Amino acid sequence: MSPTAAPPLAIQRFGFTGKTADYFRIWAVSLCLSLLTLGIYSAWGKVRKRRYLYAHTRLDGSGFDYHAAPVAILKGRVVALLLFGGLAFSGHFFLWVQITFIVILVLLTPWIVVASSRFNARNSTFRNVAFAFDGTIREAAVVLLGFGAIAIATLGLAYPWFRMRRARFIVERHRFGATPFKSDITAGGFIVAYLMGLLMLIGAGVLTVALLGAAFGLAAVLGNAKRPSAALSLVPVIGIYASYLAVFAYLRARVGNLTLNSAIVGPLRCRSTLRARDLAWLYVSNIIAVFATLGLAVPWVTIRMARYRASKLCVVGAASLGSFVAAPGVVGTATGSEVGDLFDVDVSL
Amino acid sequence: MIAFDGIFYDGRAAAAVPVRVEERGDDITIGDGTVTARLPRAGVVADAPIPGVPRTIRLPDGERIETSDRGAVAMLWPEHGLIARAAYALESRWWTVLGGIAITAAAIWFVVAVALPLAADPVARRISPNVEAYLGEQALASLDATVLKPSRLPEDEQDEWNDRFDRFVAGEKGEERYTIVFRHAGMPNAFALPGGTIVITDEMVDAVGSNDELLAVLAHEIGHVRGRHAMRMVLQDSGVAVLMTALAGDAVGVTFLMVAVPSMLLQSGYSRKFEAEADDYAFAHMKRHGVSPQAFADVMRRLEKETGGRREDGPVMRYLGSHPATADRIRRAEEAR
Repeated sequence: MSPTAAPPLAIQRFGFTGKTADYFRIWAVSLCLSLLTLGIYSAWGKVRKRRYLYAHTRLDGSGFDYHAAPVAILKGRVVALLLFGGLAFSGHFFLWVQITFIVILVLLTPWIVVASSRFNARNSTFRNVAFAFDGTIREAAVVLLGFGAIAIATLGLAYPWFRMRRARFIVERHRFGATPFKSDITAGGFIVAYLMGLLMLIGAGVLTVALLGAAFGLAAVLGNAKRPSAALSLVPVIGIYASYLAVFAYLRARVGNLTLNSAIVGPLRCRSTLRARDLAWLYVSNIIAVFATLGLAVPWVTIRMARYRASKLCVVGAASLGSFVAAPGVVGTATGSEVGDLFDVDVSL
Repeated sequence: MIAFDGIFYDGRAAAAVPVRVEERGDDITIGDGTVTARLPRAGVVADAPIPGVPRTIRLPDGERIETSDRGAVAMLWPEHGLIARAAYALESRWWTVLGGIAITAAAIWFVVAVALPLAADPVARRISPNVEAYLGEQALASLDATVLKPSRLPEDEQDEWNDRFDRFVAGEKGEERYTIVFRHAGMPNAFALPGGTIVITDEMVDAVGSNDELLAVLAHEIGHVRGRHAMRMVLQDSGVAVLMTALAGDAVGVTFLMVAVPSMLLQSGYSRKFEAEADDYAFAHMKRHGVSPQAFADVMRRLEKETGGRREDGPVMRYLGSHPATADRIRRAEEAR
């Protein structure tokens, strides 16, 4: 053996061991008690559901854990409900109130992102070592509002760059114990990804128009041109939804991989191999399953998504996970996290 | 003596150390084969039990021990929290879970189909006419800014219709509240705003076959105003939105799907009830003012014909779409003659 040989690179895969039958029971009880307690129990239900999902997300033989206090989550929910309820109610009549709500919400985004990231990181542990998020509201405002404004001002040309900066901000301000995450992300991959997405949309548009034209032509040949059938008018609708879904899945996979693959924590690097066609199939089948079961398939959807994501994620590096050490945590509030959840503010990590 | 195997995490490094925990009277001992620590059992806190999740106990200095021996932890540290105990008991049995699903479905149905409509009516009644009028103005302003364009009907035709409408509501309760305005929208449509303003599109004026037919449409809209349907709809909608948000709070991703679908389905249910109410009012109103409900049947037939009788999309169907089955409404109008 040569003395200069590099230490062998170990690959440690994530795994997911959760079962739909188990999770379904936690989910169903949470739903029922939330309703009967006018939503109060939902905070407890959320912690229990998340603890189940975390415990079954495995790395190197250990699961993750989630320690959030339900009361902290409940407080956040009240704030979120006021914001959301206000937005929904104002939407019926007052355009200006709704615009005001949206402006306030946009201005609150840095706080929402920072507070929810901090809350979730602080309450997530692996082997009793907590994660942490050190990003400040000022930094978040520069990245999300400042760079976001640049993306808008350039009519979207700078959008991939904005998304790259956003992803880098989120990754680099996280810590596992005392070890900060680093990111060697570049704009190149993002530009290619969004360009491809745009081309896919254009291609799908052209294809839909062509199909529609062919269908109308066929209908005309069959002497039915005056009253095109209902099925025909569905062609553009299905075309639009299908292409939207395809582009959505593609960007989810590409941007998710770019972000995670850039993440380095100490001597380890993350590796994510999500595939667009897998995600597209998962999304389509999830939507059908949830519709067909009036929502009863939600736990199944949650479990299979977690299983898929875990199966495509691993960490690579020479070091053992046992070498990571803890640091004192940061104190945050639950409000940010809840607002983030309700509005589906996705920090695509 | 109760004893179990677990994995010890000291909280300082992400290392896993297999240990054995043994009960010693009021104390426990923790040993990894070489070193054994002894500490009071009372200083240890067990996490809330969740089916299918390993138990974790927290030692006084923040160390944790995870174990799959759920029974041993339950015996050494019985759960005292009411919420955690109740949730665990319910989650552990299939019959309670399925009962929970049934209760959830029944409760959603009750709230949406019974409680909200019942509550919305008295609440809508308490809203002052000034507030309603203001809401209506705001709604019209935002519609004008988006989908509606100024009417292209000649001034004198509009004036004629205003006079005819004033006569049509003369002597009715709250007649001073009712006004009509004309707008161009690209499709035949008529709708009532909170406060009593009725918007008619130029296309609707063109589509009807006689003055009586337009009066029939207007009578129907007056029915909506009298029933405060717009306010009740808003209140019921908001109730459904709050309910669904509370239910689906953290099912991110499918949340909006789950919220959108039921409200969509319920929406058409509400409408059907309100439309039938407005129809009944319209027939009575027309008879009071010497217009036969036959005009209502005629205009319904005409609008339906314009769509080629199809129930699918098309601008006119959008007007008809939220309404009860057209044939049924025509039949009821003809019965009301």
